[in-house]
Amino acid sequence: MLTLVVGGAASGKSEWAENLVLALSGQRVYVATMEPYDGECLVRIDKHRRQRAGKGFLTLERFRDLERLEVPDGANVLLECMSNLLANELYSPQGGGKAAVLRGVERLCACSAHLTIVTNEVFSGGKDYGGDTLRYLRELGEVNRTLAAWADRVVEVVCGCPNVLKGRLL
Amino acid sequence: MIFVTGPLFGGKREYLQKVLGLSLEELSARAAFDVEELAAGEEPLEELALRLSQFDFVTANEVGCGVVPVEAEQRRFRERAGRLSCLLAQRADTVIRVCCGLPQVLKGEWEC
Repeated sequence: MLTLVVGGAASGKSEWAENLVLALSGQRVYVATMEPYDGECLVRIDKHRRQRAGKGFLTLERFRDLERLEVPDGANVLLECMSNLLANELYSPQGGGKAAVLRGVERLCACSAHLTIVTNEVFSGGKDYGGDTLRYLRELGEVNRTLAAWADRVVEVVCGCPNVLKGRLL
Repeated sequence: MIFVTGPLFGGKREYLQKVLGLSLEELSARAAFDVEELAAGEEPLEELALRLSQFDFVTANEVGCGVVPVEAEQRRFRERAGRLSCLLAQRADTVIRVCCGLPQVLKGEWEC
């Protein structure tokens, strides 16, 4: 079972996804993809850690190459978040690009009972971006569409409320 | 006219092709894509919307959900693009929002 959770910044998507996984019985695994390269990242990671505290997640930090990540068989896995993972795979010298992202998801999907992926809606503010941003957006858009096609359920979270784009809520 | 809106790179064209069973060439002959770009020009929006509503299918990217741009020209574009989408939605029989390749009908009857 694959669920894709999409939402804007601070839309409540992480908490909604965590609660979705909490409602499932079995072991809970959180795959954290944010690479802490500065103090702001560390603050954000700490915020998410506190938000998850007491919810019984085993946290695995993995910034790229999910294909080779060891996760307990049959667990309920929450992968957060796709936008970081893709950036790591695209811009890190060891990265394997979009293909590595999708292979990693396939692998996680195969070994987990329920995989929930959090991704970002960053596509509604125009396309007047500098540098490589537009290419990144195009790649993330493709990844999101592929994951949505694979998913049993796709939910857009708006102000903490679910808008079901595919499948059923329960 | 069927108006398709939604986030950039959300798969609007691909969705229309799939649901209508058309090649990109066949669809292009009956459609206007990415019409928010036309809002950067000078054409009055009512005239532009009337002209575009002659197509069977019109797609536009949502551009209004970011921070207010610093540049006046960008603010003008964003404002006009949003208003154009509203006018097109008014004229449309069907309005569909496509996000992550998935359709949601916002107006009218449509078999997804």
